[in-house]
Amino acid sequence: MKRSLALLMVLVLMIAMLAGCAQSSKEDQTVVIYQNKVEIHEQLSAFAALYEAETGVKVTVKTSGGDSPYAENLKAEFQSDRQPDIYVIEGMGGYNTWESKLTPFEDQEWMDLTTLEFVVDGKTFGFPVAVEAWGMAYNADLLSQAGIDPATLTSQEAYRAAFEKIDAMKADLGIKSVVAMAAGPDMRWVTGLHNFNGYLSAGLPYADTSVLDKLNNGEADMQRLTEYADWVELLFEYADRSVLLTGNYDAQVGQFGTGQSVFIHQGNWIDPWLVSNGIDFPMGFAPHASVKGEHNAIFIGAPSFYVINKDSENKEAANAFLNFMATNEAGHNYMVNEAKMVPAFTNVELKPDTPLSANAAEWLAKDAKYTWLQNDMPDGFGMGTIAPIYESYAKGDIDKAEFINQLAIKIEELK
Amino acid sequence: MNRHVKDKLVFWLFLAPALISFLVVVIIPFFMGLFYSMTDWTAVAGLKANWVGLENYKAMFSSVAFKYSFMRTFLFTLLSVLSINFVALTFAFLVTREIRFKNFYRAGFFIPNLIGGLVLGYIWQFIFKSVVPAIGSLLGINFLEELLLLADPNLTLFGLILAFTWQYAGYIMMIYVAALLNVPQELLEASEIDGANFWQKLWNITVPMIAQAFTITSFLTLVNSFKQYDIIVALTSGGPTAIYQGQTVNSTELLAVHIYNVAFKYNNMAEGQARAIVFFLVLSVVSIGQVYYSKKREVEM
Repeated sequence: MKRSLALLMVLVLMIAMLAGCAQSSKEDQTVVIYQNKVEIHEQLSAFAALYEAETGVKVTVKTSGGDSPYAENLKAEFQSDRQPDIYVIEGMGGYNTWESKLTPFEDQEWMDLTTLEFVVDGKTFGFPVAVEAWGMAYNADLLSQAGIDPATLTSQEAYRAAFEKIDAMKADLGIKSVVAMAAGPDMRWVTGLHNFNGYLSAGLPYADTSVLDKLNNGEADMQRLTEYADWVELLFEYADRSVLLTGNYDAQVGQFGTGQSVFIHQGNWIDPWLVSNGIDFPMGFAPHASVKGEHNAIFIGAPSFYVINKDSENKEAANAFLNFMATNEAGHNYMVNEAKMVPAFTNVELKPDTPLSANAAEWLAKDAKYTWLQNDMPDGFGMGTIAPIYESYAKGDIDKAEFINQLAIKIEELK
Repeated sequence: MNRHVKDKLVFWLFLAPALISFLVVVIIPFFMGLFYSMTDWTAVAGLKANWVGLENYKAMFSSVAFKYSFMRTFLFTLLSVLSINFVALTFAFLVTREIRFKNFYRAGFFIPNLIGGLVLGYIWQFIFKSVVPAIGSLLGINFLEELLLLADPNLTLFGLILAFTWQYAGYIMMIYVAALLNVPQELLEASEIDGANFWQKLWNITVPMIAQAFTITSFLTLVNSFKQYDIIVALTSGGPTAIYQGQTVNSTELLAVHIYNVAFKYNNMAEGQARAIVFFLVLSVVSIGQVYYSKKREVEM
């Protein structure tokens, strides 16, 4: 009897041990920031250490991103009860997912210093991490050799004339194709998000969401869509076929970087690639002529926003940290010189030193910007649903009419 | 306490660790998954899942992308099971003959299996995108130089099968090698004396004797082809596109990739879960059927 009792005790102990694993000790009060940019992890950690030295508040930077998908890891982080105080969302999609875990910013100093914060129903929910911009990035040397002034590239007609002229001079310029454009399986964000954003916001006043709202209600603006298809056709027509259909990021940026194309359909995030490969020809952005009419702005926005966890116990400390980043010179130094980002705040006087970022900052200073709406479409719509249609069009499986038709059908399915 | 009860207690006590782990990590999650597949669950902590009945399953069967993915998965599985087993068996015959350096060859054929699927996918992507055109331009073959292998749905599927065969055939070969070494030599000798030729020996002695190996290899290749994910992600990311029933679909988005995309790219966890349940059922039926059929063909010595 005694022995079986002992056995029973062992069993109970084992179960207790299993259960014990679930308990965790309470951590010291620190602000935990869970962010998605692998490339700035070290810089941000260094800045957090500096902040701790200055104020005594410990900030822990946790990073997940690059190849490990941030959105999934964030869900796991919340499920596992290691809730971060500050985390990152990328627009309406993230807002819809995380609505129950968000709290608006109120009366923060940084809110008066930017126009790029994330707002829903008049409440500010997101602190802009950085500014990114894309347009038609051009190689200024090649463009002047071809005798084209980038300031004239403001409409589809101007682009078509310029493309034809450059295409005829291919051998003289030593290029393979006019545009480095990619629509293959690895590059769905270029077509489904960035290029399609032209349909949503090009030519419209900043923060005009009328086309996006229609799209989210399952309505396609057929006039705009038809004009937009001309732009897509133009880009595909003058692109290199192998880069267009099967190229990856390196192939596309490499084509531009090695002077084998005059234009590239990318944004200022290609700067680090260009710098690390020692490319230093002068370059800048020209507007996308996504629809008919004159265009004098490039797409500028914040790719991601810091948001505060509603259930955080350190909201005050988290807010103080973000304010410090936006208002203190050390924060500015971190954003511009360390992390090589274009800051979203008007009080920052430091200038980015990489070519496309510097050009993006100029466009921002002129306030010549079209809205970023590509992250406010339903999840998966841009890259998953419509981007394959671009690829089929690029391959020639479908013609322009069918391209317009399929896009319209997919938009109507959103109803 | 009598001896019988005590034995039982000890039995259950020793079983407990395995049983509890199995319950906690397999059985309970399985039923949770079944439940979530009938809700609008999003995996966001703190949100309650609402019951939607069979809506997710209905959405699945009306999805063109899912139907297409299903067909392509079966096609891929069929072709790669054939290709892997053919290559593996051929290699196994070669390296069990009396040749020099046979252990070197065995190791060589096996090594690709030690490379992870992602790395391997990128290697083959490089080969298809850069090496093939380079060879074309070197030899002056325009067709090869301009061949965009990964832009054609069918060529890409063959590319995938090639990469997967290259990775997996060596492993399957090892199983065949072990089986071939166990075929009794006296039977082969006896048949030789009776005047049997190579093909008669192969078909009437070797094949029945290694039928057990066939059971295991066809099971392994079938299941692993059906579940293929990492090579696809690295090599093709689901592309290129094809047109199916008037819609643009991703030609190499096989079921595992498709389920992942629905769950995570479209943030539609519950629908992805419903598809995963169907995936599980189909795979179970197919693989149990295969094992049952193969078992019947095995012979006992």
